[in-house]
This record gives sequence, C-alpha cells and structure tokens, in this order.
Amino acid sequence: MLRLINLAVIGALVLSAGWLYEIKYSSTHAAERVAKLRAEIRREHDAIAALRAEWARLDNPDRIQILARRYLTLKAIEATQFDSLDRLPEKPVELVPPGTADPIGALIENMVDPEVVTGGIAQPEANP
Amino acid sequence: MPSDSPRPTGLMSARRRLVHRLLYGRNVDRSAKARARVVLAIAGFAALYAIVALRLVMFAVVPESHAVRRTSQDAVATARPDIVDRNGQVLATDVRMPSLFGEPRKIIDVDEATELLSAVLPDLESAEVRERLGSRRGFVWLKREIKPQQQQQIHRLGIPGIGFLPENKRVYPNGAEVSHLIGLVNIDNQGIAGMEKWLDGRGLADLHRAGFATDRQQEPIELAVDLRVQHALRDELVAAAEKFKAKAAAGLVVDVNTGEIISMVSVPDYDPNNPREANDPTRINRLTTGVFELGSTFKALTIAMALDSGKVTLSSSFDARMPLRYGRFNIHDYHAQHRVLTVPEIFTYSSNIGTARMALALGVEHHKWFLRKLGQLDRLRTELPESAEPLVPKRWGELNTVTIAFGHGLSVAPLQAVMGINALVNGGYLIPPTFLRRSQEEARALATQVIKPETSDKMRYLLRLNAEKGSATKADVKGYYVGGKTGTAEKVVNGRYSKTKLLTTFTAILPADKPRYQVLIILDEPQGLKETFGFATSGWNAGPTAGKVIARIAPMLGIEPRFDMPPADRLILARGQ
Repeated sequence: MLRLINLAVIGALVLSAGWLYEIKYSSTHAAERVAKLRAEIRREHDAIAALRAEWARLDNPDRIQILARRYLTLKAIEATQFDSLDRLPEKPVELVPPGTADPIGALIENMVDPEVVTGGIAQPEANP
Repeated sequence: MPSDSPRPTGLMSARRRLVHRLLYGRNVDRSAKARARVVLAIAGFAALYAIVALRLVMFAVVPESHAVRRTSQDAVATARPDIVDRNGQVLATDVRMPSLFGEPRKIIDVDEATELLSAVLPDLESAEVRERLGSRRGFVWLKREIKPQQQQQIHRLGIPGIGFLPENKRVYPNGAEVSHLIGLVNIDNQGIAGMEKWLDGRGLADLHRAGFATDRQQEPIELAVDLRVQHALRDELVAAAEKFKAKAAAGLVVDVNTGEIISMVSVPDYDPNNPREANDPTRINRLTTGVFELGSTFKALTIAMALDSGKVTLSSSFDARMPLRYGRFNIHDYHAQHRVLTVPEIFTYSSNIGTARMALALGVEHHKWFLRKLGQLDRLRTELPESAEPLVPKRWGELNTVTIAFGHGLSVAPLQAVMGINALVNGGYLIPPTFLRRSQEEARALATQVIKPETSDKMRYLLRLNAEKGSATKADVKGYYVGGKTGTAEKVVNGRYSKTKLLTTFTAILPADKPRYQVLIILDEPQGLKETFGFATSGWNAGPTAGKVIARIAPMLGIEPRFDMPPADRLILARGQ
C-alpha cells in the first residue's frame, strides 16, 4: 500500500517536474521574444526619428524658398487675391460638355430639337 | 551522533569526562536535550528551505534585471524630448548615432586594429588612435557619432576590443532659423542656451543624473513659435539688414491677447548644429539680452499714461512752438511744427516737446509709477535663461522724466517694451510674454489690468491714425488695417548721443480696430540710401520692413484682408462713445 502511494507520488513528482520544465522553457522563449521585439521597436523608433529629422530638414522653409525661386515662377500672394467663399459668383450653366471638339457645332445641335424636322428646301434627289 | 549513544561512564577517560561536562553540564535530562536538538535541526533546515523558496518566488516575480541593465547602458547622452512648433513641425529632435569605442586591454594587435579602422574611417587620426589603443585604460572613445554604414563595415572587420554604443545626438533640422529661441546643447546633450536650457531646468537634468532619461518616452514640447512666420520674418530681416547696411536686425511677432511669442529673430544668428558660432558676442539675442533706448516708441507709453490719468484727453493741446529748455538742454522736434499741437498731432508728428510737456504735467512720481506698473523698470523673466536688467537712472529727476517721455535715458529689453505696448492695445491687460502655448483664458488669469479699456481704444485709434497720415504710412499694408509707431533713437557713443549711429524701431499692430498681433522691427545702425533720400530714420527703413513682413505673415496668421475700411476716427473712436 505504502509502496503504491510512494510510486504515485514519485510519478506525480516526475510529471510536475516535466510540466515545470515546459513552463519554464516556454516562458524563457517568450521573454526572449519580448526582448527581441523591444529591440526592434526601439530600432524602428530610432529610424522614425531619423526620418522625421530628415523630413524636417527637407521641409525647411528656407530650403523650399530657395528651390521655389530657382524652379518656379510663383510670386508672393497679395492681400487683394483673397476673397471669401460666399462672395464667389454662381458657377455658369454648362451648355456643352467640356472637351468637345467643335463647341459651336455642339451648341447648335443642342438647340435643335431632334424630333422636329424642318421643312424648306427639299433635298435634291438626282442632280445631274 | 556519538554523544547521543549511551556510554558506560566507567570507560570514559578523564579527558573525555571533562569534555562531556563542559558540553552537557551536570544534571541535564539527556533525552530532553536530544529532542530539543532535533527540533533545532528541523527549524534550521526549514528556514533554509524557506529562503530558497522565497528566492525562487522573487526570481519568478521580479522581471529579469539583466535586460534592464543592458538598455540603460546603451544610451550615454541624455535623451531629450522633441521640440515642435505650434503646427507640429519638428524644431529639434534626437537621432541615435553609434559611437565607436575601444577597450585597449582586450586588443591583441594595436597596429592592425588602427590600420583596419583608418581604412573605414579615413578622417580618423591614426597616430592618435594608436596612442589611445596602446594605453592601459579600460575604455577609450575613438570617434563619437559615426554613420550606420561605417558601423556595419567596422562590425564586419571583427576586431576584438572594438565596440559601439548608441548615443543620442541632438539635431536641429531648421538650422539657424530658430537659433536664439531654441538654444543648443553640448556634446553630452545637456542644454546650454535658450529653450533647451529651460528644458533642463525643468527637471530633465535630475532625471539624467539618475540615469532615467535614456529612452525617448518623453512627450514633445510644443512652443508658441510658428516656423513659417519665423522664416518670413527672418528672411525679411536678413534682406533689410543687407539693404540698409545695418549692423544687426531683430524682429518679434507677439500675440497681443495671449502674450505668446509667435516669432523671434535676431540676426546675425547662429546654426545650433555648429555650437562654435554661438559663442560669438556679435550674435547675441538683441531682444532679450540687449537693452536699448527705444526712442519714439516710448511716446506711446507716455501718451497712454496721460490719457489714462484722466487729466489729458484727445482734444487737449500742448505748446510746441518753442524748443523746450530744461537746464542747459534744449529739446527739439524732429518734424517741428512750431505751433500748439493736440494729442493726436503730437503722436503723428512724433513731437518730443509735446510728450515731454505731457509727462511733466503729470509729475515724476506718476511717470515712474506708471512705467513700473507696465513692467518697464524691472527685469523681465521668460522661459529663456538669458535676460537683461533695464538701465534705469539712479536719480530720477524732472530732466529724466522729460527725456524718458520720448524714449531716451531709459534702456529696456525690446521684449519688455513689446509687453508694455501689448497692454496698451489689448484692452489694458499686462500679460507676461511666453514661448510656450497659452490659451486666452490662461492669459487672462495671469494678466493684470494696468490701464482702462477706454484708454486702450484711444491708443488703437492713435496708432491707426499714425499709419493713415503720420510717420507710419509706409508700413500701412492695404487690407490689414495696420497701426504703428516709428522710433528712432540716437545711440550713445563715448557718452554722447551720436547723430549718425541710430537704432530704428517700428511697432505695428494688426488689425488696429481689434488687435491680434504686434510686430516689432529693430534695425541697428541702418544707413541712408539714395532711394530713402539719405534718411536713415525709422519711417524709411524699419517701417517699410515691417510692412513687408506684415504682407507676408498676415495670411499665415489667418487675418482676413478687408478693404474699403473707414478711417480710424470713424471706426475706432466712434465705437468707444
């Protein structure tokens, strides 16, 4: 009887030791992963900081101004060029869709009701 | 144990008996003793196992201290929070840079190491490296801040005893643009000037000393400055200093209602990435570190004092027919009219005689009291560590009041004068200027009412009138309803006022009917040009410069242009009644 209990206890001991080992191993593994991810996050942070610094350097108004003077024909904005939106006139009604090759022809075509056939001169049928 | 086993006493030798007696005494119950001993042993082992168990629990609960130590080691220079402007543009940031170090005791072949290293880093002084690596020290820096590619190459060489430590390096992507405002740091990333020093004063230095400020977990610091405005102001000031051959130029843009400093430029300035330039004394910040006699700009303060006292109204008049004689001094007018002038005329013609008479009418004590109330006589402290004490006359007599009334004989820091004039136009609130963001409510909580709101309205009117038909017409940018005051002060050279060395200032408020911003322009020793007909007074140089600055920055500051505005007496004065 006692021997059976002893055996059971030893078995439980071995099992629990194995289980503990398993937990320990996986926790070590997880800890390593955490450390690795932390290092990676820090590296990414550093890279972001470096890129932000570079961006700010490229975005520097002094540099932009020099480039704009050299390559663009833009001029400084004047006070008279500002206006509020509610003073903007209504958009004119578009008679012709934009990009038409022959706008005047299209305009005439629009005015003509296709249903009505105008009379007048009969089509010469057979002209010598 | 042998002592536990019963032994016939007769067999014991004399020596044994002695030992026995010493150990157990004479009349002791030996079985009780044995039990006690077993209990003791059990207790001892139990304690031992308890310690082991406790230690195990501690190891399990406390995270590995190993990793913590590693991270604190890898950043030597302090990590600093980023500094951004009011729109979130980066003004200063930290970048990790590897630094190369050697451990001479671990190096096997010094010559080989030196040779390999100088192949990768050509700018490395090989004799110096050899000497450093040949020393018997445990740790030597070889090169601070190398490029990541170089780090990779050196790493591949596989030299024993050579390693890298990542360090934080402070970079200022905008270079000289915000130099005086932001200051700079030394090689160990500690602030030595400007807002950087202020940051250290706020506890960052202590954090660093404790070894915590190593990683970038700190919130960025948001300043009140607007980088776009700062650039426009600096660009115009550099151009003006060049055009008028001025020794120096300085400018300020301040929010009238909150005291926020939107922009502060003092040229010549320096590139904070190159600390050597910063020590040059000609590059000081003239707006906070210098004190100047500001000339006619001070007349605004004198007239506000007179109007606020109630003894003088806008329709009062003062005799400006003759130069004012005081002792052996004669006070003249620059734009002399030789007649009796009303208060608005005194302001627009910038009459020295008129303002001096006004100040005399109120008396020395009142004048002193008023200027002290407006903070012109005490040192103004802001976040910047640099500040200058105003030069106040030790014995302040009537003559001092006469000259100070038109801005001579009292030297103040320009920022201080700006604070005073803000109070004149924002409804009478004296608000200490700040470089940090501040809301209108916070400003109101800090503010003290120094003049009546009606007086403030009158000052707005006078400033606008001056831009309509006074000395400030050249700064009147159409559409922004600018008000302004010129100031031309003669500089003191060898104890005398010089006629040729001038300090010209221009103070502008916009829009004058409900001011939101104040712009101050200062030119140090501008020269007369052909196009200014040889004049070097403020209306010809500082005024137009202010106009150009306003035209550029007003759209950025969100000021809507308005045209066909009524003149000042109809718009501003009529409202007050």
